[in-house]
Amino acid sequence: MAGRVLALQVGTIAACLVLWEALARGLGGPTAVMPPVSAVLLDVAANHQVLLRGVLRTLTETVLGFAAGAAFGFLAGAAFAESRLLERLLLPLLVVSQTVPVIAFGALVVIWFGNGILSKMVIAFYLTFFPVTVNTLRGLLSVDRQRIDLMRSFGASPWCLFWRLRLPFALPAIMASLLLGVSLSLVGAIVGEWFGDTVGLGIMLVQAMYAENLPRLWSVVMACGVLGAGLYGILAAVERRFVWWGREL
Amino acid sequence: MSVPAGEPIIELAGISKTFGDRDGRVVAVDKVGLRIGRGEFVTLVGPSGCGKSTLFNIAAGLADPDPGGEIRFAGTRRAGRDLLGKVSFMPQRDLLLPWRRVIDNAILALEVEGMRRADARRKAGAMLPEFGLAGFERHYPHQLSGGMRQRVALIRTFLFERDLMLLDEPFGALDALTRTMMQRWLLDVWQRHRRSILFITHDIEEAIFLGDRVVVMTARPGRIKLDVPVALPRPRPAHVATSAEFLRIKTKLLDAIEEESMKSFMAAGA
Amino acid sequence: MRFTALVTAALVAGAASLAGTASAAEAVSVRLKWVAQAQFAGFYVAKEKGFYAAEGLDVTVNPGGPNLNGETLVASGADQFALAGGIENLLASRGKGLPIVGIAMMLQRTPSAYVAFNDSGIRSPKDFKGKKVSTFFTGAHNTLYAVLSKFDVGAADVTVVPQAVSMAPFIDRQIDVATVMLFNELNVLKTRGVKDFTVFRAEDYGVSFPSDTVIVNEKLIAERPQTVQAFLNGSMRGWKYAAEHQEEAVDIVLKAASGLDRAHQLAMLAEYSKLMVADLGTEKGIGVLDMTKLGAVRQSLVDRKVLDAGVQVGSALAPRFWDAVPTQYKKP
Repeated sequence: MAGRVLALQVGTIAACLVLWEALARGLGGPTAVMPPVSAVLLDVAANHQVLLRGVLRTLTETVLGFAAGAAFGFLAGAAFAESRLLERLLLPLLVVSQTVPVIAFGALVVIWFGNGILSKMVIAFYLTFFPVTVNTLRGLLSVDRQRIDLMRSFGASPWCLFWRLRLPFALPAIMASLLLGVSLSLVGAIVGEWFGDTVGLGIMLVQAMYAENLPRLWSVVMACGVLGAGLYGILAAVERRFVWWGREL
Repeated sequence: MSVPAGEPIIELAGISKTFGDRDGRVVAVDKVGLRIGRGEFVTLVGPSGCGKSTLFNIAAGLADPDPGGEIRFAGTRRAGRDLLGKVSFMPQRDLLLPWRRVIDNAILALEVEGMRRADARRKAGAMLPEFGLAGFERHYPHQLSGGMRQRVALIRTFLFERDLMLLDEPFGALDALTRTMMQRWLLDVWQRHRRSILFITHDIEEAIFLGDRVVVMTARPGRIKLDVPVALPRPRPAHVATSAEFLRIKTKLLDAIEEESMKSFMAAGA
Repeated sequence: MRFTALVTAALVAGAASLAGTASAAEAVSVRLKWVAQAQFAGFYVAKEKGFYAAEGLDVTVNPGGPNLNGETLVASGADQFALAGGIENLLASRGKGLPIVGIAMMLQRTPSAYVAFNDSGIRSPKDFKGKKVSTFFTGAHNTLYAVLSKFDVGAADVTVVPQAVSMAPFIDRQIDVATVMLFNELNVLKTRGVKDFTVFRAEDYGVSFPSDTVIVNEKLIAERPQTVQAFLNGSMRGWKYAAEHQEEAVDIVLKAASGLDRAHQLAMLAEYSKLMVADLGTEKGIGVLDMTKLGAVRQSLVDRKVLDAGVQVGSALAPRFWDAVPTQYKKP
């Protein structure tokens, strides 16, 4: 069964690639926005070292920013769930922070966080933490009253209640926000590289766009896609294996 | 009237509980007095929404009664929340944790108490066959039938060994055969360990079959309407349900409950 | 397992890039106006060939990018130097009170031009009237309005739209006239095989807006003038070398930004050098501040009321550093 699904998936992708090639060749010309997939794959083959270096760099930024964002988001959500006063004081600030279009303030990011990997991490962090905060808060607060009562009747302390009931109960919601967050982290890292860098998928995108090197543009887009799908896939596998009870709650 | 077996484990006097604010007040429980003797098995019946669950929450320490009432537990006067951790409480729904296996759901209370996980599992594992759950310890709740889930919840309650057990319709979801078996098993455990039990049920025959006393609550606001001793010798065979005494008690209870059900039906219609 | 190895490798790479290089030389940074490419070859060459080190400097070359403004970064102190926009951007920044000063000008001639297809009937900028014209609003729009005013075409007579980082809208004829940088977009059009279009160079209509100003913070000039001089000496030397050894210069740029296309970069440097080694740049040297030309630009901006009359070329520019650069470093 799993084998058949896999074959179907591979088949679908292959069919899309063939269709892409045919369309690009059929409708081609100097204005074609889509180069033939063969041209893109040739570019990937010719530049695989540069591409790999870019993937590694962007992956590093994404993973670090995501980890920081997930950790902060979780702690903030947990703190808000424990103290509604804290939530009322600080959550509005976090909401406001999310309305700032960080992409429009490249100079500010560079002034504050420099030209290194930190500024990319910060943008990835910035895009990640908020959904994690909100879902952690919602998840922790959605535990049903009766289960809490049952645990209390056993004499459970608030700490015990958190670890044995609230946290596992909230994990599916937290996990959903992590799946969203990892994609946002990747976007953050890519955008962060626009603010002065020489390595990474983001800067390769800008270079390719500026020179209108379409095969390169699409090979970088494909690399971004593979990276994003890979990170998402890993988290989704973790979810299926360890946090599978979302539908049972 | 009633014949308490020994000194009371819990004694409620003048307990009331009002919900809501000034605009809409609902009196769920009104000046209830109830004593359960040590080792006594008391069953509680009454129409839906008569405040049985509210009374349960108070007895478990989960809800505070209105000021004025008095709770004495094992001879000492207590505030409601002092009872947390002292009473073994089983709500109507099984409330199993979906991320825990059967065995780990069963030991939840023991874990909260701080028992080592391996010890707790050994203890619970020994009880599984008795509950018809042999071989299911590594299953997850969603892989079980409703009756099996209920039995896991029962083990969880029994492993939390306290002098007073509050059981809210524990057998309501079971099929007739399992239900009979569980009743026998419950009586057996009760007789061996002599725990005091307050048992809510909708089933009058179950109430008589199990109880030393059957208490009937009125429609909302909940009061104690009737408190009938069951003078049937134990152990009680299945055919005790055909005895004259059994039928006498049943008739009395049916009359009382029908009266209350009509009242709550009329109130709902009004 | 392989993933773990990958992550570990990525973390190590990240940590390595975080660690700076220790050196006795004075550390400064220069911010470029766009991502690393041959347009900035001189700075990369000066670093690679040790021209900065010879001046006692350890220079970090920081690439620019979208929404990254060299004027702001130098004013804030995040970078000591920048290769910023045209003279009109410098004057506008001065008008807003930013404490930045120009010390050299890389391009002696307007780098932008306009393209229109031959069959559009557009024969001169006069014909832009009533047409849809796209341009970059990062400075090039000033040049466009200056060109139009030469033909008595007002800003309201033309539909001016922001230009995307792509020539596709022009090629697909969604717009009638597009702006091109002579060293980039014009090459893009040629590479993509686009034919039958006319190029209107702003320079041909007497609109000469020198561009690519090397800027520095006033504070640095006051506190460490020798650093400013050292940076300019190294940079001019690097640029002269780049203009005279273009293949090698492009290879040095590619080392810093490996994803670039070599042929495209070579064409860029060739075109850039032509704008650099021109007019007074040929006569006196690369990077010269042509005060007559720059004064004329200021006057045209003041006349069009887009610049406050209080902004003076004299205070916006400090030619003494360029004047002090040894002749062999700058004279082509």
